[in-house]
Amino acid sequence: MDALAEGMPMEGCATYGAPARDVIEIGGLYKRFGAVTALDGVDLTIRAGEFVAIMGPSGSGKTTLLNILSCLDTPSEGRYLLDGIETATLDGKAQAVVRREKIGLVFQQFHLIPYLSAVENVMLAQHYHSVADRDEAMAALERVGLGPRAQHLPSQLSGGEQQRACIARALINEPAIVLADEPTGNLDEKNEELVMALFQQLHAEGRTLVLVTHNPELGARTQRIIRLNHGRVEA
Amino acid sequence: MFFRILRQSFFEGRKRKILAATTVALAATLITALLDLSVDVGDKMAREMKSYGANIRVVPKSETVALEVGGIDYNPLKGRDYLDERDLPLIKDIFWRNNIVGLAPFLRTSVEAEGRAGQAVPLIGTYFDKSLPLPDDDTYRTGVTATNAFWAIEGAWPDDEKPEEVLLGRSLARALNLAPGATLRVQGTEGGPTPLRVTGLLTTGGAEDDAIVAPLALAQRLTGLSGRVQAVEVSALTVPENDLSNRARRDTEALSTAEYDVWYCTAYVSAIAHQIEEAVVNASARPIWQVAAGEGAIIGKIQLLMLVVTLAAFVSAAMGVSSLMNATIMERAREIGLMKALGAATWEIHMVFLGEAVIVGVIGGLIGCVAGTGLSQAVGLMVFGSTVSIPWIGVPVVVFLSAATALAGSIIPSRAIARLLPVEVLYGRR
Ligand SMILES: Nc1ncnc2c1ncn2[C@@H]1O[C@H](COP(=O)(O)OP(=O)(O)O)[C@@H](O)[C@H]1O
Ligand SMILES: [Mg+2]
Repeated sequence: MDALAEGMPMEGCATYGAPARDVIEIGGLYKRFGAVTALDGVDLTIRAGEFVAIMGPSGSGKTTLLNILSCLDTPSEGRYLLDGIETATLDGKAQAVVRREKIGLVFQQFHLIPYLSAVENVMLAQHYHSVADRDEAMAALERVGLGPRAQHLPSQLSGGEQQRACIARALINEPAIVLADEPTGNLDEKNEELVMALFQQLHAEGRTLVLVTHNPELGARTQRIIRLNHGRVEA
Repeated sequence: MFFRILRQSFFEGRKRKILAATTVALAATLITALLDLSVDVGDKMAREMKSYGANIRVVPKSETVALEVGGIDYNPLKGRDYLDERDLPLIKDIFWRNNIVGLAPFLRTSVEAEGRAGQAVPLIGTYFDKSLPLPDDDTYRTGVTATNAFWAIEGAWPDDEKPEEVLLGRSLARALNLAPGATLRVQGTEGGPTPLRVTGLLTTGGAEDDAIVAPLALAQRLTGLSGRVQAVEVSALTVPENDLSNRARRDTEALSTAEYDVWYCTAYVSAIAHQIEEAVVNASARPIWQVAAGEGAIIGKIQLLMLVVTLAAFVSAAMGVSSLMNATIMERAREIGLMKALGAATWEIHMVFLGEAVIVGVIGGLIGCVAGTGLSQAVGLMVFGSTVSIPWIGVPVVVFLSAATALAGSIIPSRAIARLLPVEVLYGRR
């Protein structure tokens, strides 16, 4: 249960023992790109500690939804409460603050800074959040099994190792939620399994995770699947 | 962490940074060379121009009072009013003493020369290269070699301390059929016949070509005017005239106290002349305007030209840096998007790129300082036959200007950082 407490945001203290609260609460969400309606009235709730998969065919709006959840994009219409904060109306500056305080991102293409070592990439997230702490960053890399490779540059790491460095970076600031868009899309089966096992372990520790995937096997290993089709959540 | 990012990211896109640093270095080379040359050679040039004649003439006050009526000179002291030779060091003791590059006293008389009986030969007494005792104990060597360096000598300069040594104007020498080393007997208004030794022949293109030019002491002895001087010509480094100095020239009384102070503490030829009058009692110091105005204008124009060239160099360097920075930001768009996704504020990302620009600018500036100094030495050797002194104060100035140039060139392209949307670069869409 310690790990759960650790995984909670700062306000988490108040919710000790209480039933899991909502981390994400979305209502009537629309996103239009000109004539294209990428999200067509999405309602969605994700509770603290949940492990959720978002699935759906290509072009169904998964990435668009995740970008809005990440506060990288704003909806055309609708409400988005993240950890109690109304984010749909925030400006760019405030969105950046929400991102660094509340959100951990895992990308399909990893997006590590090429000239920084693995541990420095983790420290970069700390730096923008508060203050860089090498020991903490090292501990995070050890947790994902990358301790011995911490001083390597991304180009010296395999895809799976890069993705684990990316996950360590996503976790380092104790975010309210970790959002991953096709995190295994660029990995072979062995590394896919490794990353998936890591997600399940994080879930067991009490983290809130959202995984976008089109792989039904991976979806089946989460707690709940949200299916998108043409920008709508299927029942 | 910021410096770690900066240090590591600095080695990204090395080729482009070397190019940018080179652009800045070229501009810095130019400005360093121009700075060295304008400080030192500007000085050299001014001095060289000074050698084409003095720009201030000092005479006894009574000489300037016109007492000529109907062609008859009524000045009662005419020929009797002189400056005191002992006062000469005072001229070198004014506020702008360091701008006085030379002074030469004159005492003109005429003598009867052997072989030219009945015909008066002009004799001009002056300093050639005399050491002048200064009030603060330094000795100062000056004379026509400093004020009239264009005087061409065949043979040797006379020694100021040997009153029998003289120069002979070239035309006079031809008329008397004398060459350097010859002896010439003259008879002045005072004393007996005096033998003179001709050390050299003088060509000036002026009245001196028909005269004997002798040490001042000799002229004083031949005239019985011991310790007297008729006029002093002063060569001073001056700044170009402007509105203020023109008004001062008309009437110093009309200036306000503040204006007077500014005028007094600026090396205008009129201010220097004014200070000479203050220092030497009974003296009247007048700028020789054609010379003074011409010199100031030429130096002013050269400085303006240098300023324009320097400005152009830095503008083009800034433009070069600008296009390189633009390419860098495009290339590193994903990195910028990621930093934003991690919650970095825009200014934090700016700091990385502008920090890199400053480093590139500083490196370019330092390289430019070294190259520019080399260039100015080469130019000094080629044009003036001597190395130029290095104004060390220029190094921080040039490095600062280079950094500022690189920074200025980066400002416009780095505005793209603020516009960049992470969603557009992180997913490789479009
Ligand atoms: N920036 C954009 N401009 C225009 N159309 C977009 C943009 N982003 C997404 N879309 C469109 O929105 C729909 C959903 O896209 P996306 O969320 O990427 O789907 P998924 O991730 O499920 O494959 C698609 O039809 C896509 O073409
Ligand atoms: Mg997608």
